[in-house]
Amino acid sequence: MSASYLRIEGLTKRFGASAAVQDVNLDVRQGEMVVLLGPSGCGKTTTLRLIAGFVEATAGRILLEGQDYADLPPYRREMGMVFQSYALFPHMTVAQNVTFGLRMRRLPKPEIEQRLAATLEMVELSSMAERYPRQLSGGQQQRVALARALAIRPKVLLLDEPLSNLDANLRQQVAREIRQLQRAAGLTALMVTHDQDEAMMMADRLVVMDKGAVQQVGTQEELYERPANPFVARFIGHSNLVAGELSGGTRLSLPDGTVIGLAGHYAATGPVTLAIRPERARLCAPGDAAARVTVVVEDATYVGAHVEYLLALPDGTRLILHDPTDGGGTRRHAPGDRAGLTWDPASERLFDAAGVPLTARAAIPA
Amino acid sequence: MAGIAAPMAPATPAQAPARIKASRLTAAGVFVWVLITAGVLVMAVPLVMTAYISLFRDAVVVFPPSGYSTAWYMRIGEFPRFGESLGTSLRIAALATIGSLAIGIPASLALVRYSFLGRGVLNVLLLSPLTVPGVVIGLSIYVLVVEVEIATEAPLIGSDLVLAAAHLLITTPWVVRLCVANLIGLDRSVEEAAANLGARPWSVLWRVTLPMMRQGIVAAALFAFIVSFENIEMTLFLISPGVMTLPISVLQYLEYRIDPLVAAVVMVQTLVIAGLLLLLDRYVKLSRIV
Repeated sequence: MSASYLRIEGLTKRFGASAAVQDVNLDVRQGEMVVLLGPSGCGKTTTLRLIAGFVEATAGRILLEGQDYADLPPYRREMGMVFQSYALFPHMTVAQNVTFGLRMRRLPKPEIEQRLAATLEMVELSSMAERYPRQLSGGQQQRVALARALAIRPKVLLLDEPLSNLDANLRQQVAREIRQLQRAAGLTALMVTHDQDEAMMMADRLVVMDKGAVQQVGTQEELYERPANPFVARFIGHSNLVAGELSGGTRLSLPDGTVIGLAGHYAATGPVTLAIRPERARLCAPGDAAARVTVVVEDATYVGAHVEYLLALPDGTRLILHDPTDGGGTRRHAPGDRAGLTWDPASERLFDAAGVPLTARAAIPA
Repeated sequence: MAGIAAPMAPATPAQAPARIKASRLTAAGVFVWVLITAGVLVMAVPLVMTAYISLFRDAVVVFPPSGYSTAWYMRIGEFPRFGESLGTSLRIAALATIGSLAIGIPASLALVRYSFLGRGVLNVLLLSPLTVPGVVIGLSIYVLVVEVEIATEAPLIGSDLVLAAAHLLITTPWVVRLCVANLIGLDRSVEEAAANLGARPWSVLWRVTLPMMRQGIVAAALFAFIVSFENIEMTLFLISPGVMTLPISVLQYLEYRIDPLVAAVVMVQTLVIAGLLLLLDRYVKLSRIV
């Protein structure tokens, strides 16, 4: 497969009996920015450290341009890493930090000088070359870390939570800068983050991980519109999950006897999980023909772009619904009201007991 | 009337606790300052008294002295083998410092960076000399060295080699402790960054780990030097008539007489240490590491 530049095959890391990373497979194209996203402890950082060579893999291959890197020591991997803590050398100036990798490669002095100048210019730190890291702001330190990794012209740029130590108002700006640099240089990059917005903003493709395993690989749109399992549905954006028994193709029975009329017609029966995004459902009058289930409004909060409703199903399950505001009569339903809840067939996601998405055979119009 | 009383009522309880708090703070503050002053005095009195006595004019220490003079400092050369024993002390302390750094730095790297069989044992072993009284160590080494001398007929007692080796026992635990504490505080990812940029393990150690440990190493060297320089109880067993450290020659002198000369010698010894500290402070801010 020529499209794959960096290929991860069956990458596994066990610490004793527990697997921190479990059979990760991934293809990264040249010039692509792939973001590993997941909750803390999901194995995303370990995966990055396995690729950098700081951790030895229990099993699996790391192929870069067809060559297996899994057994190479970190200093021979040609991968530039930006650390969460930046990990700048405190006893070296900015210039010494940035040229460290070049000096390790014993490049001729004129070339080192030229690359230093070019790299510092790229991150707009030319005037800071003789400063020490402790004399720089967090954002500047971050740029030194990036420059240091870029100066060696790495085959792959690895970014471990690069924005997490920055002020919130700086984050978006730096995210955009990193993305621009990466695109301009045509760099292949792998980034790790737990922050969904950051991931959505920077990635060409995302890898959602949980419990050491890859849950889904795809573009932002694929993950949001076609989550592979309930975990992805809830983790990317937000989804209301309702578990019940599917019967008769369209009936979802909850344990307390409540029946939800589904928007699709399904071939399967048995335990399933329904996932509905807060902004893809609507409230209507309780007796309305469109109502798929009746809910009680517990709370309604106006937050600007939408009104956030907290709804309760008869069995007490809480759902969140976002009703877009339109400048007119907002908060159409007050706490304590009963209301009908409905949604379009295209907004309905159903997963079977194993977490596999079910496809509707036909849509039931509301 | 009611209109005036109402706004005043909440003001009174608000002020009362503030006043109590202030007076409590003052009492605590005074107590702390008394403790600090007492502590400083207790620490300073021996030094101040020694400095004071070293300026007495009389050869016999009497109080009040008949007059003051700095003549004793001019006569330090008359102190039995002053230069020789000071030289021995400095030489042994330097050897012990270098030796304990050579043992302690690699040992602390191993203890902090790697987990291996016997790591706990090594840790205890490296610190154990601190728990054994110096007299016991000195006597044990003496017995051992005498046995070796009998077997090999090599003159060992009083040699620099034996003295420095013995001092290693009391200086190495300090070096290990300080270097370990320093290493634990270092961000491991800085070393990973160096490896990531292409530095081989030895380069990482030489260009990144050791420079980052500088403060810990300087502190360790300082402690090692002072611990060795001022040691008496262990050294007592290991000197020979020809070789003597400064603290021991002071001790021996004091067995026969107390005069301002010995006070002047002790002041010089103190100044040597203080001078070293000041010199080091130029390179590493001691207040940050000790």
